[in-house]
Amino acid sequence: MNTIIRYALLFGLFFIMQVFIFNRLELGFGAYIFILPLYLMILPFETNVFALILVGFVLGISVDALSNTFGLTASSMVLFAFLRPIIFEAFRPRDGYDPLKFPTAGDMGWVWFVVVFGILFASSLLWFFVLEVFRWGETLLILRNFFCSLIASALVISVSQFFFFNTGRKK
Amino acid sequence: MQNLFAFLRRFRVFIFFSALQFLCLFLYVQFVAFPKSVYLSTASTFNGKIQSAEGKLISHFYLEKNNAALRLENAQLRKRVFTNFYRVERAKIQVKDTTYEQSYSFIPTKIVNVSVNRRNNFFTIDVGKLQGIKKNMGVISPNGVVGIVFKVGEHFSLVKSLLTQDINLDVMIGIDGPRGILKWDGFNPRKGIITGVSSDLYIKKNTHIYTLGASGIFPKGIKLGKVISKSRIEDQALWKLEVRFREDYRTLHSAYVVKSLIRKELQELQLEVPEDTE
Repeated sequence: MNTIIRYALLFGLFFIMQVFIFNRLELGFGAYIFILPLYLMILPFETNVFALILVGFVLGISVDALSNTFGLTASSMVLFAFLRPIIFEAFRPRDGYDPLKFPTAGDMGWVWFVVVFGILFASSLLWFFVLEVFRWGETLLILRNFFCSLIASALVISVSQFFFFNTGRKK
Repeated sequence: MQNLFAFLRRFRVFIFFSALQFLCLFLYVQFVAFPKSVYLSTASTFNGKIQSAEGKLISHFYLEKNNAALRLENAQLRKRVFTNFYRVERAKIQVKDTTYEQSYSFIPTKIVNVSVNRRNNFFTIDVGKLQGIKKNMGVISPNGVVGIVFKVGEHFSLVKSLLTQDINLDVMIGIDGPRGILKWDGFNPRKGIITGVSSDLYIKKNTHIYTLGASGIFPKGIKLGKVISKSRIEDQALWKLEVRFREDYRTLHSAYVVKSLIRKELQELQLEVPEDTE
Protein backbone atom coordinates (compact mmCIF):
# COMPACT_ATOMS: atom_id res chain seq x y z
CA MET A 1 0.00 0.00 0.00
CA ASN A 2 2.80 2.29 0.98
CA THR A 3 4.39 1.76 -2.43
CA ILE A 4 1.19 2.63 -4.31
CA ILE A 5 0.78 5.94 -2.48
CA ARG A 6 4.42 6.71 -3.03
CA TYR A 7 4.14 6.10 -6.76
CA ALA A 8 0.92 8.08 -7.02
CA LEU A 9 2.64 11.07 -5.42
CA LEU A 10 5.61 10.63 -7.71
CA PHE A 11 3.22 10.61 -10.70
CA GLY A 12 1.96 14.06 -9.72
CA LEU A 13 5.46 15.29 -9.01
CA PHE A 14 6.81 14.18 -12.37
CA PHE A 15 3.82 15.72 -14.13
CA ILE A 16 4.25 19.10 -12.42
CA MET A 17 8.01 19.11 -12.87
CA GLN A 18 7.77 18.36 -16.59
CA VAL A 19 4.96 20.77 -17.43
CA PHE A 20 5.76 23.75 -15.24
CA ILE A 21 9.50 23.57 -14.92
CA PHE A 22 11.31 21.63 -17.59
CA ASN A 23 8.97 22.50 -20.48
CA ARG A 24 9.49 26.17 -19.64
CA LEU A 25 13.26 26.03 -19.64
CA GLU A 26 14.76 27.31 -22.83
CA LEU A 27 18.32 26.06 -22.98
CA GLY A 28 18.98 26.78 -26.63
CA PHE A 29 20.35 24.37 -29.25
CA GLY A 30 17.07 22.46 -29.17
CA ALA A 31 17.88 20.94 -25.79
CA TYR A 32 14.78 19.63 -24.07
CA ILE A 33 14.84 18.11 -20.61
CA PHE A 34 12.58 15.09 -20.75
CA ILE A 35 12.28 13.49 -17.30
CA LEU A 36 9.00 11.57 -17.65
CA PRO A 37 10.64 8.28 -18.75
CA LEU A 38 12.41 8.14 -15.40
CA TYR A 39 9.01 7.57 -13.78
CA LEU A 40 8.35 4.52 -15.94
CA MET A 41 11.89 3.34 -15.27
CA ILE A 42 11.62 3.31 -11.48
CA LEU A 43 8.29 1.47 -11.29
CA PRO A 44 8.85 -1.91 -9.57
CA PHE A 45 10.31 -4.82 -11.54
CA GLU A 46 7.19 -6.94 -11.30
CA THR A 47 4.86 -4.26 -12.77
CA ASN A 48 2.49 -5.68 -15.38
CA VAL A 49 3.37 -4.66 -18.94
CA PHE A 50 -0.16 -3.53 -19.72
CA ALA A 51 -0.24 -1.36 -16.61
CA LEU A 52 3.15 0.06 -17.58
CA ILE A 53 2.01 1.00 -21.09
CA LEU A 54 -1.22 2.48 -19.77
CA VAL A 55 0.57 4.56 -17.13
CA GLY A 56 2.96 5.80 -19.79
CA PHE A 57 0.08 6.77 -22.03
CA VAL A 58 -1.85 8.61 -19.31
CA LEU A 59 1.19 10.49 -18.03
CA GLY A 60 2.26 11.37 -21.55
CA ILE A 61 -1.12 12.57 -22.76
CA SER A 62 -1.63 14.74 -19.67
CA VAL A 63 1.68 16.47 -20.28
CA ASP A 64 0.82 16.81 -23.97
CA ALA A 65 -2.45 18.56 -23.19
CA LEU A 66 -0.61 21.31 -21.35
CA SER A 67 2.33 21.80 -23.68
CA ASN A 68 0.76 21.68 -27.17
CA THR A 69 2.58 18.60 -28.35
CA PHE A 70 -0.71 16.75 -29.07
CA GLY A 71 0.34 13.15 -28.40
CA LEU A 72 4.06 13.20 -29.13
CA THR A 73 5.06 12.73 -25.50
CA ALA A 74 2.44 10.02 -25.03
CA SER A 75 3.74 8.21 -28.08
CA SER A 76 7.33 8.11 -26.89
CA MET A 77 6.25 7.15 -23.36
CA VAL A 78 4.24 4.22 -24.74
CA LEU A 79 7.29 3.13 -26.71
CA PHE A 80 9.44 3.33 -23.58
CA ALA A 81 6.95 1.24 -21.60
CA PHE A 82 6.76 -1.37 -24.34
CA LEU A 83 10.53 -1.71 -24.62
CA ARG A 84 11.21 -1.76 -20.87
CA PRO A 85 10.45 -5.47 -20.21
CA ILE A 86 12.39 -6.48 -23.33
CA ILE A 87 15.54 -4.57 -22.35
CA PHE A 88 15.19 -5.63 -18.70
CA GLU A 89 15.11 -9.26 -19.84
CA ALA A 90 18.21 -8.76 -21.96
CA PHE A 91 20.21 -7.29 -19.08
CA ARG A 92 18.96 -9.63 -16.36
CA PRO A 93 21.50 -10.45 -13.65
CA ARG A 94 22.45 -14.17 -13.43
CA ASP A 95 20.14 -14.83 -10.46
CA GLY A 96 17.25 -12.78 -11.77
CA TYR A 97 15.98 -9.54 -10.27
CA ASP A 98 15.77 -9.21 -6.50
CA PRO A 99 12.10 -8.44 -5.71
CA LEU A 100 13.22 -6.25 -2.82
CA LYS A 101 15.07 -3.91 -5.13
CA PHE A 102 13.91 -1.11 -7.42
CA PRO A 103 15.28 -0.33 -10.87
CA THR A 104 17.22 2.71 -9.67
CA ALA A 105 20.91 3.47 -9.75
CA GLY A 106 21.13 3.19 -5.97
CA ASP A 107 19.70 -0.35 -5.92
CA MET A 108 21.01 -1.87 -9.12
CA GLY A 109 24.34 -0.10 -9.52
CA TRP A 110 25.34 2.67 -11.87
CA VAL A 111 26.60 0.46 -14.69
CA TRP A 112 23.35 -1.43 -15.01
CA PHE A 113 21.29 1.75 -14.69
CA VAL A 114 23.24 3.76 -17.23
CA VAL A 115 23.22 0.98 -19.83
CA VAL A 116 19.57 -0.07 -19.46
CA PHE A 117 18.10 3.37 -18.95
CA GLY A 118 20.41 4.81 -21.60
CA ILE A 119 19.16 2.42 -24.27
CA LEU A 120 15.50 2.90 -23.36
CA PHE A 121 15.74 6.65 -22.96
CA ALA A 122 17.72 7.21 -26.16
CA SER A 123 15.24 5.20 -28.21
CA SER A 124 12.20 7.02 -26.86
CA LEU A 125 13.88 10.42 -27.23
CA LEU A 126 14.92 9.70 -30.81
CA TRP A 127 11.39 8.54 -31.56
CA PHE A 128 10.09 11.83 -30.14
CA PHE A 129 12.27 14.02 -32.34
CA VAL A 130 11.85 11.93 -35.48
CA LEU A 131 8.08 12.20 -35.16
CA GLU A 132 8.21 15.88 -34.34
CA VAL A 133 10.27 16.92 -37.35
CA PHE A 134 9.44 14.07 -39.73
CA ARG A 135 11.41 15.28 -42.74
CA TRP A 136 14.41 13.68 -44.41
CA GLY A 137 15.86 17.07 -45.25
CA GLU A 138 16.16 17.97 -41.58
CA THR A 139 18.08 14.98 -40.29
CA LEU A 140 20.72 17.35 -38.99
CA LEU A 141 18.14 19.12 -36.87
CA ILE A 142 16.84 15.83 -35.47
CA LEU A 143 20.34 14.72 -34.53
CA ARG A 144 21.27 18.03 -32.95
CA ASN A 145 18.07 18.17 -30.90
CA PHE A 146 18.52 14.54 -29.94
CA PHE A 147 22.08 14.79 -28.69
CA CYS A 148 21.60 18.10 -26.89
CA SER A 149 18.47 16.82 -25.18
CA LEU A 150 20.14 13.55 -24.31
CA ILE A 151 23.00 15.31 -22.56
CA ALA A 152 20.78 17.83 -20.75
CA SER A 153 18.30 15.18 -19.58
CA ALA A 154 21.06 12.79 -18.56
CA LEU A 155 22.55 15.44 -16.29
CA VAL A 156 19.25 16.16 -14.57
CA ILE A 157 18.36 12.50 -14.22
CA SER A 158 21.74 11.49 -12.79
CA VAL A 159 21.52 14.27 -10.23
CA SER A 160 18.06 13.05 -9.26
CA GLN A 161 19.45 9.54 -8.83
CA PHE A 162 22.11 10.81 -6.44
CA PHE A 163 19.75 12.77 -4.26
CA PHE A 164 16.33 11.22 -4.32
CA PHE A 165 16.39 7.60 -5.31
CA ASN A 166 19.44 6.45 -3.44
CA THR A 167 17.66 4.60 -0.66
CA GLY A 168 14.59 3.24 -2.39
CA ARG A 169 14.17 0.03 -0.33
CA LYS A 170 10.80 -1.56 0.00
CA LYS A 171 9.42 -1.50 3.52
CA MET B 1 -10.06 -20.24 -34.44
CA GLN B 2 -7.81 -21.73 -31.82
CA ASN B 3 -4.83 -20.54 -33.77
CA LEU B 4 -6.25 -17.07 -33.82
CA PHE B 5 -6.61 -17.03 -30.04
CA ALA B 6 -3.13 -18.42 -29.66
CA PHE B 7 -1.85 -15.67 -31.94
CA LEU B 8 -3.70 -12.97 -30.02
CA ARG B 9 -2.43 -14.33 -26.70
CA ARG B 10 1.12 -14.49 -27.90
CA PHE B 11 1.18 -10.97 -29.28
CA ARG B 12 -1.20 -9.37 -26.80
CA VAL B 13 1.40 -6.95 -25.45
CA PHE B 14 2.41 -5.89 -28.91
CA ILE B 15 -1.21 -5.46 -29.99
CA PHE B 16 -1.96 -3.33 -26.92
CA PHE B 17 1.15 -1.28 -27.58
CA SER B 18 0.27 -0.79 -31.24
CA ALA B 19 -3.26 0.26 -30.41
CA LEU B 20 -2.14 2.97 -27.99
CA GLN B 21 0.68 4.04 -30.28
CA PHE B 22 -1.79 4.32 -33.13
CA LEU B 23 -4.08 6.42 -30.93
CA CYS B 24 -1.21 8.80 -30.06
CA LEU B 25 -0.15 9.21 -33.66
CA PHE B 26 -3.74 9.63 -34.79
CA LEU B 27 -4.23 12.41 -32.23
CA TYR B 28 -0.98 14.06 -33.28
CA VAL B 29 -1.65 13.99 -37.00
CA GLN B 30 -5.25 15.04 -36.53
CA PHE B 31 -4.20 18.01 -34.42
CA VAL B 32 -1.44 19.14 -36.68
CA ALA B 33 -3.20 18.63 -40.00
CA PHE B 34 -6.93 19.01 -39.46
CA PRO B 35 -7.58 20.64 -36.13
CA LYS B 36 -11.19 20.16 -35.05
CA SER B 37 -11.51 20.01 -31.30
CA VAL B 38 -9.65 22.10 -28.79
CA TYR B 39 -9.47 19.41 -26.12
CA LEU B 40 -6.00 18.22 -25.26
CA SER B 41 -4.54 21.57 -26.15
CA THR B 42 -4.07 24.75 -24.18
CA ALA B 43 -6.88 26.38 -26.17
CA SER B 44 -9.46 24.42 -24.18
CA THR B 45 -11.00 26.38 -21.36
CA PHE B 46 -9.83 24.15 -18.53
CA ASN B 47 -6.22 23.90 -19.64
CA GLY B 48 -6.20 27.56 -20.54
CA LYS B 49 -7.31 28.47 -17.03
CA ILE B 50 -4.50 26.46 -15.48
CA GLN B 51 -2.03 28.19 -17.74
CA SER B 52 -3.36 31.68 -17.15
CA ALA B 53 -3.33 31.14 -13.38
CA GLU B 54 0.33 30.30 -13.69
CA GLY B 55 0.82 33.18 -16.11
CA LYS B 56 -0.63 35.61 -13.55
CA LEU B 57 1.96 34.46 -11.08
CA ILE B 58 4.81 34.84 -13.49
CA SER B 59 3.70 38.03 -15.24
CA HIS B 60 4.38 40.05 -12.07
CA PHE B 61 8.06 39.50 -12.57
CA TYR B 62 7.83 41.15 -15.97
CA LEU B 63 5.61 44.11 -15.04
CA GLU B 64 8.31 46.70 -15.12
CA LYS B 65 9.77 45.54 -18.39
CA ASN B 66 6.34 45.28 -20.01
CA ASN B 67 5.41 48.76 -18.86
CA ALA B 68 8.54 50.16 -20.41
CA ALA B 69 7.79 48.40 -23.69
CA LEU B 70 4.19 49.67 -23.67
CA ARG B 71 5.30 53.22 -22.96
CA LEU B 72 7.66 53.08 -25.88
CA GLU B 73 4.96 51.72 -28.14
CA ASN B 74 2.51 54.37 -26.98
CA ALA B 75 4.99 57.06 -27.87
CA GLN B 76 5.44 55.61 -31.31
CA LEU B 77 1.70 55.30 -31.86
CA ARG B 78 1.11 58.89 -30.81
CA LYS B 79 3.61 59.99 -33.39
CA ARG B 80 1.89 57.95 -36.03
CA VAL B 81 -1.54 59.35 -35.23
CA PHE B 82 -0.27 62.87 -35.63
CA THR B 83 1.30 62.25 -39.01
CA ASN B 84 -1.81 60.46 -40.14
CA PHE B 85 -3.97 63.47 -39.41
CA TYR B 86 -1.70 65.65 -41.39
CA ARG B 87 -1.80 63.47 -44.44
CA VAL B 88 -5.55 63.00 -44.37
CA GLU B 89 -6.00 66.74 -44.32
CA ARG B 90 -3.84 67.15 -47.35
CA ALA B 91 -5.52 64.41 -49.26
CA LYS B 92 -8.89 66.00 -48.75
CA ILE B 93 -7.87 68.99 -50.76
CA GLN B 94 -7.17 66.92 -53.86
CA VAL B 95 -10.02 64.52 -54.40
CA LYS B 96 -12.33 62.48 -52.26
CA ASP B 97 -9.71 59.98 -51.35
CA THR B 98 -10.36 56.62 -49.81
CA THR B 99 -6.71 55.76 -49.30
CA TYR B 100 -7.01 56.18 -45.57
CA GLU B 101 -10.00 54.00 -44.95
CA GLN B 102 -9.34 51.86 -41.94
CA SER B 103 -8.50 48.37 -43.04
CA TYR B 104 -7.31 46.68 -39.86
CA SER B 105 -8.41 46.70 -36.29
CA PHE B 106 -6.51 45.22 -33.38
CA ILE B 107 -7.57 43.24 -30.36
CA PRO B 108 -5.09 43.40 -27.47
CA THR B 109 -4.30 40.10 -25.80
CA LYS B 110 -2.06 38.54 -23.22
CA ILE B 111 0.09 35.53 -23.99
CA VAL B 112 -0.50 32.86 -21.37
CA ASN B 113 1.68 30.05 -22.66
CA VAL B 114 4.57 29.94 -25.02
CA SER B 115 7.06 27.46 -26.40
CA VAL B 116 10.09 28.25 -28.52
CA ASN B 117 12.23 25.15 -28.48
CA ARG B 118 10.01 22.71 -30.36
CA ARG B 119 10.10 22.29 -34.13
CA ASN B 120 6.56 23.65 -34.28
CA ASN B 121 5.91 26.25 -31.64
CA PHE B 122 2.56 27.47 -30.41
CA PHE B 123 1.36 30.34 -28.27
CA THR B 124 -1.81 30.44 -26.21
CA ILE B 125 -3.57 33.80 -25.99
CA ASP B 126 -6.37 34.78 -23.63
CA VAL B 127 -9.00 35.76 -26.20
CA GLY B 128 -11.32 33.38 -28.03
CA LYS B 129 -14.60 32.99 -29.83
CA LEU B 130 -16.31 35.37 -27.38
CA GLN B 131 -14.01 38.19 -28.47
CA GLY B 132 -14.63 37.49 -32.14
CA ILE B 133 -11.39 35.66 -32.86
CA LYS B 134 -11.50 33.49 -35.97
CA LYS B 135 -9.13 30.99 -37.45
CA ASN B 136 -6.33 32.36 -39.67
CA MET B 137 -6.30 35.82 -38.18
CA GLY B 138 -2.84 37.33 -37.83
CA VAL B 139 -1.19 38.04 -34.48
CA ILE B 140 1.41 40.77 -34.14
CA SER B 141 3.49 42.20 -31.34
CA PRO B 142 5.08 45.63 -30.98
CA ASN B 143 8.26 44.31 -32.56
CA GLY B 144 7.06 42.05 -35.32
CA VAL B 145 4.82 39.21 -36.34
CA VAL B 146 3.89 36.53 -33.82
CA GLY B 147 1.90 34.10 -35.94
CA ILE B 148 -1.50 33.03 -37.19
CA VAL B 149 -4.49 31.88 -35.13
CA PHE B 150 -4.63 28.13 -35.51
CA LYS B 151 -7.44 27.02 -33.26
CA VAL B 152 -10.11 28.98 -31.41
CA GLY B 153 -11.57 27.99 -28.08
CA GLU B 154 -14.33 29.66 -26.11
CA HIS B 155 -12.00 31.89 -24.04
CA PHE B 156 -8.55 31.05 -25.35
CA SER B 157 -6.97 30.50 -28.74
CA LEU B 158 -3.94 28.70 -29.98
CA VAL B 159 -1.56 30.62 -32.23
CA LYS B 160 0.77 28.88 -34.62
CA SER B 161 3.86 31.00 -34.25
CA LEU B 162 6.28 32.19 -36.89
CA LEU B 163 8.60 29.56 -35.43
CA THR B 164 7.00 26.61 -37.26
CA GLN B 165 8.01 24.72 -40.32
CA ASP B 166 5.03 25.60 -42.49
CA ILE B 167 4.53 29.34 -42.06
CA ASN B 168 5.80 31.33 -45.02
CA LEU B 169 5.54 35.05 -44.55
CA ASP B 170 5.64 37.40 -47.53
CA VAL B 171 8.09 40.18 -46.78
CA MET B 172 9.84 43.04 -48.51
CA ILE B 173 13.46 43.93 -48.03
CA GLY B 174 13.58 47.62 -47.24
CA ILE B 175 10.46 49.76 -47.72
CA ASP B 176 9.08 48.95 -51.18
CA GLY B 177 12.12 46.81 -51.88
CA PRO B 178 12.27 43.34 -53.45
CA ARG B 179 9.87 40.68 -52.23
CA GLY B 180 10.78 37.42 -50.61
CA ILE B 181 9.46 34.62 -48.46
CA LEU B 182 10.47 34.48 -44.82
CA LYS B 183 10.71 31.19 -42.96
CA TRP B 184 12.11 30.19 -39.60
CA ASP B 185 15.49 28.46 -39.83
CA GLY B 186 14.39 25.80 -37.33
CA PHE B 187 17.39 26.21 -35.06
CA ASN B 188 17.58 29.60 -33.45
CA PRO B 189 14.41 31.33 -32.16
CA ARG B 190 15.84 34.67 -33.26
CA LYS B 191 16.83 33.80 -36.84
CA GLY B 192 14.88 33.36 -40.05
CA ILE B 193 15.72 32.80 -43.70
CA ILE B 194 14.41 34.68 -46.73
CA THR B 195 14.32 32.90 -50.06
CA GLY B 196 12.96 33.78 -53.48
CA VAL B 197 15.06 36.93 -53.96
CA SER B 198 16.78 37.05 -57.31
CA SER B 199 20.56 37.29 -56.97
CA ASP B 200 20.93 40.07 -59.51
CA LEU B 201 19.40 42.45 -56.99
CA TYR B 202 21.83 44.25 -54.75
CA ILE B 203 20.96 43.77 -51.11
CA LYS B 204 22.76 45.65 -48.37
CA LYS B 205 23.52 44.07 -45.06
CA ASN B 206 21.46 45.43 -42.15
CA THR B 207 18.54 46.34 -44.41
CA HIS B 208 15.30 46.20 -42.45
CA ILE B 209 12.66 43.65 -43.32
CA TYR B 210 8.99 44.62 -43.45
CA THR B 211 5.81 42.64 -43.95
CA LEU B 212 4.34 42.87 -47.43
CA GLY B 213 0.75 42.23 -46.43
CA ALA B 214 -0.17 40.66 -49.75
CA SER B 215 -2.46 38.06 -48.23
CA GLY B 216 -4.29 40.64 -46.14
CA ILE B 217 -3.60 38.80 -42.90
CA PHE B 218 -1.01 41.28 -41.65
CA PRO B 219 -0.86 45.00 -42.31
CA LYS B 220 1.83 46.17 -44.68
CA GLY B 221 5.06 47.58 -43.31
CA ILE B 222 5.53 45.97 -39.89
CA LYS B 223 9.22 45.99 -39.14
CA LEU B 224 10.40 42.42 -38.49
CA GLY B 225 14.14 42.48 -38.28
CA LYS B 226 17.19 42.98 -40.42
CA VAL B 227 19.38 41.09 -42.84
CA ILE B 228 22.52 39.81 -41.14
CA SER B 229 24.13 37.78 -43.90
CA LYS B 230 23.59 36.71 -47.48
CA SER B 231 24.79 33.77 -49.52
CA ARG B 232 23.95 32.32 -52.92
CA ILE B 233 21.83 29.19 -53.18
CA GLU B 234 23.73 26.57 -55.16
CA ASP B 235 22.63 26.09 -58.78
CA GLN B 236 20.04 28.85 -58.52
CA ALA B 237 20.15 32.53 -59.22
CA LEU B 238 18.70 33.32 -55.82
CA TRP B 239 19.90 34.84 -52.57
CA LYS B 240 19.56 33.10 -49.27
CA LEU B 241 19.29 35.88 -46.70
CA GLU B 242 19.62 35.36 -42.99
CA VAL B 243 17.42 37.56 -40.84
CA ARG B 244 17.62 38.41 -37.17
CA PHE B 245 14.14 39.00 -35.73
CA ARG B 246 13.55 42.13 -33.70
CA GLU B 247 11.15 40.26 -31.46
CA ASP B 248 12.55 37.87 -28.91
CA TYR B 249 9.76 35.32 -28.75
CA ARG B 250 11.13 33.92 -25.52
CA THR B 251 10.18 37.03 -23.57
CA LEU B 252 6.92 37.89 -25.30
CA HIS B 253 4.00 38.67 -22.97
CA SER B 254 1.47 40.70 -24.91
CA ALA B 255 0.32 40.78 -28.51
CA TYR B 256 -2.46 42.05 -30.79
CA VAL B 257 -4.79 39.99 -32.92
CA VAL B 258 -5.23 41.59 -36.32
CA LYS B 259 -8.77 41.78 -37.56
CA SER B 260 -8.61 42.49 -41.24
CA LEU B 261 -11.55 44.38 -42.69
CA ILE B 262 -10.40 44.00 -46.28
CA ARG B 263 -9.24 40.41 -46.32
CA LYS B 264 -12.43 38.94 -47.70
CA GLU B 265 -12.48 41.35 -50.59
CA LEU B 266 -8.82 40.69 -51.27
CA GLN B 267 -9.33 36.95 -51.29
CA GLU B 268 -12.34 37.13 -53.56
CA LEU B 269 -10.35 39.23 -55.99
CA GLN B 270 -7.42 36.88 -55.96
CA LEU B 271 -9.70 33.93 -56.64
CA GLU B 272 -10.45 35.44 -60.01
CA VAL B 273 -6.87 35.01 -61.19
CA PRO B 274 -7.16 32.27 -63.83
CA GLU B 275 -5.30 29.08 -62.93
CA ASP B 276 -2.76 27.54 -65.23
CA THR B 277 -4.38 24.85 -67.31
CA GLU B 278 -1.53 22.48 -67.97
